[in-house]
Amino acid sequence: MKSIHKAALATALATLFASAPALAGDPIRTIDVFTRPQAAQPQEFQSVQLIAQEWRKLGLDVNVRVMPWEQMADIVWYQRDKWDVTAWQMVGRPERSDPDEIVYNLFHSSTAEKGYNFIGYSNPEFDAVAEAQRVEIDEAKRRQLVYKAQEILAADQPNMMLVHPKSTFAYDKTVWKPDSVVNQSGIGIRNTWTFMSLEPLGEQRDIIVNSGDNVQAVNPLYISGGVDSWVTELLYDRLARVGPDGLPKPWAAESYEWKDDKTIEVKLRAGMNWHDGKPVTVEDVKFSFDAVVSGEAPMYKPFATNVAGIDIVDDRTLVFHLNNPAASFVTSSLAKINLIPKHVWEPVLEDLKTKEENAESYQEDTPIGSGPFKFERWLTNEEIVLSANKDHFNAPKADRWILRIVPNVEAALGMLRSGEINFIGEFSGDPQVLIDAAEADGDLNVVSTVDIGFRYLAFNERRAPFNDAAFRRALSAAVDRRLIVKAAFKGFAEASNSVVSPALEFWHDAAVVENFKAGQDLAKAILDEAGYTLEGDRLHYPGDQKEEYAQ
Amino acid sequence: MYQLKAAVGRTLQLGLVLWAVVTILFLMFRLMPGNPMAAYIDPTFTEEQQLALMAQFGLDKPLWEQYFIYLANLVQGELGQSFRYREPVAERILALLPNTLILTFTSLIIAYVFGVLAGAYLAWRRGSAVEQAAIPVVLTTRAMPEFWLGMVLLAIFSFWLGWFPAGGTRSAGTDHGSLLGLYTSSDFLSHLALPALTLAIYSQGLPLLLMRSNMLDVMKEDFVTMARIKGLSNWTVVVRHAARNALLPVMTSFAIAVGYQLQGNVVVESVFSWPGLGRELVNAVSASDYPLAQGAFLMIAIVVILMNLIADLLYALLDPRVTHV
Repeated sequence: MKSIHKAALATALATLFASAPALAGDPIRTIDVFTRPQAAQPQEFQSVQLIAQEWRKLGLDVNVRVMPWEQMADIVWYQRDKWDVTAWQMVGRPERSDPDEIVYNLFHSSTAEKGYNFIGYSNPEFDAVAEAQRVEIDEAKRRQLVYKAQEILAADQPNMMLVHPKSTFAYDKTVWKPDSVVNQSGIGIRNTWTFMSLEPLGEQRDIIVNSGDNVQAVNPLYISGGVDSWVTELLYDRLARVGPDGLPKPWAAESYEWKDDKTIEVKLRAGMNWHDGKPVTVEDVKFSFDAVVSGEAPMYKPFATNVAGIDIVDDRTLVFHLNNPAASFVTSSLAKINLIPKHVWEPVLEDLKTKEENAESYQEDTPIGSGPFKFERWLTNEEIVLSANKDHFNAPKADRWILRIVPNVEAALGMLRSGEINFIGEFSGDPQVLIDAAEADGDLNVVSTVDIGFRYLAFNERRAPFNDAAFRRALSAAVDRRLIVKAAFKGFAEASNSVVSPALEFWHDAAVVENFKAGQDLAKAILDEAGYTLEGDRLHYPGDQKEEYAQ
Repeated sequence: MYQLKAAVGRTLQLGLVLWAVVTILFLMFRLMPGNPMAAYIDPTFTEEQQLALMAQFGLDKPLWEQYFIYLANLVQGELGQSFRYREPVAERILALLPNTLILTFTSLIIAYVFGVLAGAYLAWRRGSAVEQAAIPVVLTTRAMPEFWLGMVLLAIFSFWLGWFPAGGTRSAGTDHGSLLGLYTSSDFLSHLALPALTLAIYSQGLPLLLMRSNMLDVMKEDFVTMARIKGLSNWTVVVRHAARNALLPVMTSFAIAVGYQLQGNVVVESVFSWPGLGRELVNAVSASDYPLAQGAFLMIAIVVILMNLIADLLYALLDPRVTHV
């Protein structure tokens, strides 16, 4: 009630002194909003157009700047004080099933200068919560902290969350038994679990998947493109894997157990072999983690730097000692680091130490892992062929897994119908087209599920007026997300107000999404209360604030 | 002596052209907005990693130093390492070049054989109903965008009739042993058919129109009149006398067309998922993969320059009046 009185008073005063503009601040400059081109990112482009329209109604001059990803990323990331608002996207990956990566790296003030907090968000209260959830081993308590983090973000609106898109995939149900398709929460049906369990119904026993992107590398020590990880996840085992429910479960490890909050004991599964026939040993496991921090694998290094040391207890048991307690350790390290054979990689790493290149540039002719599929062949920009490892403890039911590179998305759909491929691994076109095609065809199943990833607009908190939480709240409130879902995403998305996807049921705080209210009137009221004034049809800063960023 | 001097001058000229191409390529990609590091941006991307990458790519050095390192490497035949794929550029280009060359030459040969024959025929039948109907059709095919034509052919012959596969150079998971084994297999030829047809339809207009107008010019020349006066048959006059002379400029245009075609491949390779150099080039440019983009462009420039040289030499051979090569 009190605040409404204040707002009324402010309005009254503003009316009184309308003829004396000296009391209002400068007009707010033209706001630049970055988006990628319509041809590349139609939903993003469309969302930004809709949002710009709503913001203009508040009295802002909005300029939509369209540019390709490389240019946009260059400005946003390397010229951190040179932009106002940008559309951005976070893609879903299995290891993001643990909220730590998103909650900490995107918003902790320590990553503002050079890391992913490129928006320059800094809130000591949030920092404390983000730090606390990292080290809290008790899941129930940690969940409360992750909820708290989502609440602070909802109040501060450092980003304007838009939607969690739905990922849509399709497969030929006359080739693959529909019951054998596994949906991984937040990832969709194109995942390692599905590829292991797909059961052929007839003659065709090869899983043929498409991708629009080329494979960059098949290297267990290099985190390269998204498609590359489909391949490495099948070739290499990890001690744990993120399960279909989004929570980690033992994999190459038969079990693991926390001894205290900095010690975890891992028992290796018995009878595993590398693709070249040699047994997988505890030495190999220790070597795999040592290799990552050796300096030869900079991309993977952050996932193992918390490991202070690994003791080999007996020929099946290892103990990991951590520097700091880390609640996400199983997901972000045990389920992330590929197990690699010491006999293959030790000489390679020794040799690389004397050279300028590191292990990321090293491409094996035949990558050797211990995973459910074995490497057969790789034809540059055309296909990768893997064959089932029938000796694996979770051997695939299909014979081969073949990845075809198909940059033309319409052709991919045609190929699915003609049988040239039988599983859509990536569909960048309109999902409705896929659904219509499936209806016309009759042999196809289409599955849409909510993604871990999300789309948002990032506000540059380094620059006024975006350093003002009230201003950000108003801009966020000005746009009804249902409009974005319907008009830009054609219904293939879920409105969002939290960086933790509803697909991560355990961590997602549904209240912050439910309590989010939007509307032009609400947005105007927030601006009014914070002292922003409309002079004519142009929004001005509160008080005597000057415009410091005009071009 | 004169010949030798000309050859030396020609070689020096080539060197100069190559140096200019190389320098322009170097500057072009570095002045373009964008940053090769953009591909690595990720929540776990640390400052340490960024510095390591910059050093690894040689981007921490001043531009002039990068330029001299680049030139020095090139002289030694070293194209550098791709930022994106972390492998030698030369290896990638060599893996993709054969696919592009076979597509280019197959389609161009079809286009030129058809174009020359049809052009000569239309010149012979000048003013007939056939000619009047054919010219607008040819002009239309010349004006059709390649990606559109490709999509139409794909929709008709692949998705609707099911005669040809929709993409790639081979069926999923088939192994043909060697490259030769692949290129001589029916599997490959059925995959080659649609992209080659698309490019052939797109490129037959130039030789056809060129041949036709040359023929019309040549037919007015004295030696043709002479041949007619001698009482030679219409066929002998058109084929043995007129067509052979009209063919010369078409030969030159073939060489130049190879260069153009390499550009056209960019689109067709994407439509038909053809693993060639054109697609690689587009990816490399959009990912700011300087070494790969430079290497791919350089390779195309070399092919164009070489084809021009061949055209010049061939011309001198076919037409002895041209000696100043």
